[in-house]
Amino acid sequence: MNYFTGIDIGSTASKVVVLSETEIEDRFVLPTGWSSRETSSDIARRLAEGGHPVGEGMTVVSTGYGRAAVDYADKTVTEITCHGRGGWYLLGRDCTIIDIGGQDTKVITVEHGMPTSFLMNDKCSAGTGKFLEIMANRLGVDLSELFTLAESGTPLAISSMCTVFAESEVISHIGAGERREDIAAGVVDSVVCKVAGLCARHTMTGDVLLTGGLCESTYLVKQLSQKLKRPVLTDPMGRYAGALGAALIARGKAR
Amino acid sequence: MAEEQVRYYILFANYEQGLALHDLLDRENIPNRIAPAPRAIQGELSCGMSLLIQPEALETVKDCIRRHNAPHHAIVPLAGQIKPRRDRYC
Amino acid sequence: MSDYVQMWKDLGMDLENHDLLCQVLPTAVGDVFLSQENRPKAMDFWDLVISEVHGIRPAELIEAQKQGRKVFGTFCVYVPDEVVVAADGIVTGLCGGSQFWVPDGEAVLPKSTCPLVKASVGARLGRTCPFFRIADLYVGETTCDGKKKAYEILGEDVPMYIMDVPQMKREKDILKWKDEIADFAEKVEEFTGNPITPEKLGEAIHIINEKRKALARIYECRKSTCLPISGRDALLVMQIAFFDDPVRCAQMCNRLADELEQRIRDGVSVVPAGTKRILVTGTPMAVPNWKLHNIIETSGAAVVCEEMCTGTRYFENLVDETKTTLDEQFMALSQRYMKTNCACFTPNTGRIDDILRLVKEYQVDGVIDCNLKFCCLYDTEKYAVSRALKEASVPVLSLETDYADTDAEQLRTRIGAFVELLNG
Repeated sequence: MNYFTGIDIGSTASKVVVLSETEIEDRFVLPTGWSSRETSSDIARRLAEGGHPVGEGMTVVSTGYGRAAVDYADKTVTEITCHGRGGWYLLGRDCTIIDIGGQDTKVITVEHGMPTSFLMNDKCSAGTGKFLEIMANRLGVDLSELFTLAESGTPLAISSMCTVFAESEVISHIGAGERREDIAAGVVDSVVCKVAGLCARHTMTGDVLLTGGLCESTYLVKQLSQKLKRPVLTDPMGRYAGALGAALIARGKAR
Repeated sequence: MAEEQVRYYILFANYEQGLALHDLLDRENIPNRIAPAPRAIQGELSCGMSLLIQPEALETVKDCIRRHNAPHHAIVPLAGQIKPRRDRYC
Repeated sequence: MSDYVQMWKDLGMDLENHDLLCQVLPTAVGDVFLSQENRPKAMDFWDLVISEVHGIRPAELIEAQKQGRKVFGTFCVYVPDEVVVAADGIVTGLCGGSQFWVPDGEAVLPKSTCPLVKASVGARLGRTCPFFRIADLYVGETTCDGKKKAYEILGEDVPMYIMDVPQMKREKDILKWKDEIADFAEKVEEFTGNPITPEKLGEAIHIINEKRKALARIYECRKSTCLPISGRDALLVMQIAFFDDPVRCAQMCNRLADELEQRIRDGVSVVPAGTKRILVTGTPMAVPNWKLHNIIETSGAAVVCEEMCTGTRYFENLVDETKTTLDEQFMALSQRYMKTNCACFTPNTGRIDDILRLVKEYQVDGVIDCNLKFCCLYDTEKYAVSRALKEASVPVLSLETDYADTDAEQLRTRIGAFVELLNG
């Protein structure tokens, strides 16, 4: 039996998908931790435990910012191509994919299964998962709690484009005794605006699919749909889109 | 890994000597390239140029130097000097 | 002969700091250039120049100064070398292309200034570049606000002459630039003590045209499906062209072009068949700025053309050599220089026409439009450039970067994805 594994080492979480010729055989997520190399060894161990050891009959494609650390990968591919391929596979038709990653946000147009153009955020963490994480930390909650809080809040303005300055704004809001719910709503709103700003610079064709871990937040998806004035679709496998794309490329390569 | 490969650098007191040997080697079809002398081995020499040669060519180069009595300062082996994806620019 | 340390000391350089730059250069040259397989043999000239970049040419310039010749430092392809050469002066480019010089520039300039301007000011004020020490007169120009203000600061430290580049390309602007050239000629005559005659200027025009033709020959070879030279090597040739003696530059470029033409006949390519061909457009890449080219060419693509000042803008269009009076020659110069499509002009649709033309001529698969951070002019033109390319169904990637190494990984992701997209 041949297996095809996609490993997406993101800045926050590492995602793994194992495919056979026809099925999704396995999938799991690990925190990336401080060492991509160590994470990649952990992944190899988990794969073996799951009955899909690296070696004969296994093709591995790695992606994500830590892709080079997977020394047993047969090939490395950028996360843009992988998210495009994986997202298209999930949706099954031409679309525009938005991925809010830990440190990058990207908008990818996919036609006939292949990415044809993409746009990435400026090289800073505003409008990314990292921004949300830092602000949640500041409010003393985790990410899912941040979204829950935000749902019952009225967004406060967080106008700074820079994460560092935005954090000071959040601190001033806390200092001024503003409601946590309102601050949380402001934080999410700030990311949504930044992502929508990126979309405005890109020709959006077809349906919009949000991939990456944040697609599991119904609140964020709702806010983004509103801002983009079009439905934003998600998929239960959305978090795995990059890894899935990598696995699909591995399968294509092996053929 | 190719990046850790040992290569040899011929150092000179001045670039005129370096160019003279470069011409000699070229004339005898011995592969060599002009390269800035890596700082780690340049020492007190103020000459910035060296000749870079691959290990396979070392003996033929030495032979050529001997035959022509070509002036040079030293031939120094050095590993890990060339990494195209290191992304350290200046 | 080559005791450069004494020469640098005599130039009043900060030796200790300069040594830090000397330490990193060999590593970067090794990684970017010597890592390549199958380079043209004739690149040995440029390998030597870059190995001794602060030695051989500065020593030549100092020798020339001892003979009474003057060295003019310039920052822009709009400044006409011909006028200086006609008065037996020497031109050397002065644009700073290293992060090394940026902190010294930031000591006096806002951080939000483009790195090229910061590095240029830093190289002078930090006393860490011999060319900036040697030049007798700096010739600035009004092609961007950052430079205009920086020249005021530089002017406190070194004699400075500014040429006023028009911002539009109407007939009266071409006349205005002709007058600027005439004024500059007067300044050059006064500064060198040598009169500029029509004969002298005619000769100078010929010399610089020959240099342009030689550079064009190298670029012509890059149009071939069989690619005989890497983008990195071609960029180095172009960068050094700003510093070298124009006659020797032409001679060396022709020598290289001979080899490249032979390579094409022999089917010798530096990349595997099918490697995607990239046109890079945008702000100039002053030596030793090799980051973008190196990342592109270690991501599986090849740079085949640069639509930038360190590229086609430097050599395209020749000056009419048939004119016999100074007045006509100044006009011919103005007409040639005003064909250069810089983003400081409005409108600047000529640049878009150039890009679309070059895409065809060089059989380009994708365009990377990259500007230096804080260059408002080129950053703004990205919108029109990418729209025009999309209309022509040419894939385009817009980037922004500076001289620091810190964004290399992010650039690798963007460029890697772009190459994957081109490979389909």
